[in-house]
Amino acid sequence: MDGNELLSRLKRLSEIDDPRKDIHSLTYAQFPGTHCPLMGAAMAVRGIDGAVMMIIGTDECSYYTKHMTIYSDDWGGLDGRCLSVTIDQHDITFGCVKKVEAAFAELMAERRPEAVFLVTTCVPEIIGDDFDAAADALSEQYGVPVMAVHTEHFKCENHMPGVERTITACFGLMQPCEQDGSVNVLGQRMGRFEDTELSRVLESAGVRIGARLPSGCTLAEIHRASAAKVNIVVNDIGLPLAKKMKQRFGTPYVFFDKFVEPRHIAEAYENLFAFLERPLPMELADLRAEAEKAAESGKAALRGVSFIYGNTPFRAFEACAFMASLGMEPQLVQCHGIGEADAEDVRQILTHADPYITQSANISPMQYIYDVLRPQLYLGHEYPMRLRKKGIAQVHTDMGGGMLGYEVTGYFVKQLAAAAEEGKNIRKGGAMQ
Amino acid sequence: MSLTRFLPVPSDRMGILWSLLNIEDSVIVEYGPAGTTHFSMSLFGELGIEQENRLFTTHLREDDVVMGDTSRLEKALVEVDNNFHPSVIFVSASSCSAVIGTDLRGVCTMIKPKVNARLVAFEQGGFRGDYSAGIRETYRLLAEQIAESGVPKRAGTYNIIGASVGSYRCKADMLETERLMREAFGMEPHARLCLETDLERIRTMGGAEINLVMRGEALDAARMLESKCGTPYVCGAPYGYAGTLAWLESVGKTLGREPAPALVGELKKRAAEAMQYKMYGRMLRRDRPQALLYGDCETVRGLGEFLESIGITPARRISIHNLSTLETPPEGIEYLPTERDRMELLRGMQRTLILVDDTSRRLADSSNTYMRISTPVIDGAQVATHMPVMGPRGADMLMEYVEAYFNTLK
Repeated sequence: MDGNELLSRLKRLSEIDDPRKDIHSLTYAQFPGTHCPLMGAAMAVRGIDGAVMMIIGTDECSYYTKHMTIYSDDWGGLDGRCLSVTIDQHDITFGCVKKVEAAFAELMAERRPEAVFLVTTCVPEIIGDDFDAAADALSEQYGVPVMAVHTEHFKCENHMPGVERTITACFGLMQPCEQDGSVNVLGQRMGRFEDTELSRVLESAGVRIGARLPSGCTLAEIHRASAAKVNIVVNDIGLPLAKKMKQRFGTPYVFFDKFVEPRHIAEAYENLFAFLERPLPMELADLRAEAEKAAESGKAALRGVSFIYGNTPFRAFEACAFMASLGMEPQLVQCHGIGEADAEDVRQILTHADPYITQSANISPMQYIYDVLRPQLYLGHEYPMRLRKKGIAQVHTDMGGGMLGYEVTGYFVKQLAAAAEEGKNIRKGGAMQ
Repeated sequence: MSLTRFLPVPSDRMGILWSLLNIEDSVIVEYGPAGTTHFSMSLFGELGIEQENRLFTTHLREDDVVMGDTSRLEKALVEVDNNFHPSVIFVSASSCSAVIGTDLRGVCTMIKPKVNARLVAFEQGGFRGDYSAGIRETYRLLAEQIAESGVPKRAGTYNIIGASVGSYRCKADMLETERLMREAFGMEPHARLCLETDLERIRTMGGAEINLVMRGEALDAARMLESKCGTPYVCGAPYGYAGTLAWLESVGKTLGREPAPALVGELKKRAAEAMQYKMYGRMLRRDRPQALLYGDCETVRGLGEFLESIGITPARRISIHNLSTLETPPEGIEYLPTERDRMELLRGMQRTLILVDDTSRRLADSSNTYMRISTPVIDGAQVATHMPVMGPRGADMLMEYVEAYFNTLK
């Protein structure tokens, strides 16, 4: 493969008018490809204690999903909360609702779960069985909340819609409650909210945490979620649920994503405490100063360091804009799309550089791109040895998935600086030994 | 089938993929949603299969599903051909493309003039049976489309047909088979369908002296190779001491040679020693030794016969996969269509030697003695390649469990 030819198919950031049409995959044949929404649904149900996930799909879809859950205590291991109804040729011809009903009867006789997510996959969606109606009927018959979640991958690009649809389906579990001044956290996919800076700040301010979807909560907390004074949306996937709750219960929401830029974090804190009608905690000034200091000190080590952005737990364009503001050089950004919320960050990036843009989750052809662009850093999941052979240091940021607040800035800069240092050693040949 | 609580039996498509990924110099292009390919990585990684630059997905969008547009696949095939120059591209269906009825063979025919690689289509999307059906189709298509006739004969070589990496201790079993063939006849393996082999070996497999058909699913392929290349075949796998001897004699008969006397002598000696357990069984006052076997049909057959020969009655012999794939399933082996049947069976077992998989072990109580003979491996991992289930070494390992089992009986 010719890296120059691959790059010639891509548009630069300034040339993207319609992201759906203008962001191309490097190749038609991809590896490994994006995660599927079924996996996203599984990530979400894992965090909802007491809820059962019933997959309706092929043996293969069921196998891989179950395989992912069997070593997880959250799931309950091999005999845990991830179950399936596998469909065959007969079901494709005649429909699989009856089979699901029979399986559901077995489930209720054996376990009597508190809530069930009926998660459909590609094939039942193609054959068109009505699982929204089936879920309603089962819910009524057994007196247990049953929610249909649709996870056909051919209608979306990655796993995030699976997480989003699962937590949005929880809306049906919520009951009207009197407001109690608490906050819900919507959209945290990784880590435990209790471990974040935001959680500590809220706790110090005497704010009670209600439902955390999908990062770990009970069904009882979801039932009472409407008691919250504010919903904190920590990722776009929490927005549809936040909007529904605002419409139905009048609960306002604030957007507090995993920002890395201290200014954005400060705005998020200010916005949150304004909605909470509480004064901004004093400690935030110190935390902000610390984050800004970390960013400033990172500039010396990172100025002029080139990178390819693969994936991080952060917002892709916000992270790239931040890195560009440190003097780093974005050469290529892999992403799932560019939304309206990214506009300011895109403008920021363009004041520094004009990177190539491509679709994510296709690392196979990337090795040919490395030969052309010769980046110093790669952010995201890749084969580490392959990167080292090309003289590239890998930036690991997975731990950032469990962070919120100013702590993200310090962590991110530290990881970048460590990788930049490693990159120097790799190029000298030291770390290759 | 209704509620599935544990891991389902892998599908035909999964069996096809783990077989094809063991063939060097080939590439697989899956015509389906990317998520399935990505999701499969953890299982294939666990099975020790490399996927980088071997497995690709086209992804599918709604337009492709609704309109039946296959241009995405066509472009991907041309691209893979240009970029990787594989000898063969295996084009694999997905559940989606199978349901909407994509004519993969038609696409391959149409695109053929634009690519140098040979295109072989697998249209199974996961609905034509379990992995047993998938591996059978793989062996058959490789014999039909890749193996060539008129290849010069290579004396002292043989092919293995029926290796499946989805089976427990597959690699160790193949190494044990190869050791036996070397010691008994001084022969070396040529192609192994499908374990760590390559296209050139498959293309020239007609040059081998004999095909060893290790499981029923490989029979079609062996017959095809017999008619195409004139290669004789022997069915069955070597389990137990006497079973291994009988298998070697059968191979020797087909080859017109006697197995090495030293190996024959050793196997006879070990078989005679193992027969003592018959007597131990008769001396028990309370219990009668019995076993339950659950695994690949051929494994269950072979180990069941061995246990029976040493006085341990196989109470039930269950195949993990559907038996309809096999032309003549061995007598006395059952297939349980639902998971509930298996749960009830295992929960009812007591003071039994259970030769099963890890899931089944967890269903049985602690009065039983457990030995793993089947995937899925949940507790731990397969690492050793010198600890087979087949052959005298496999029998040695089993005898250790038999001894432990007898210690629990009165």
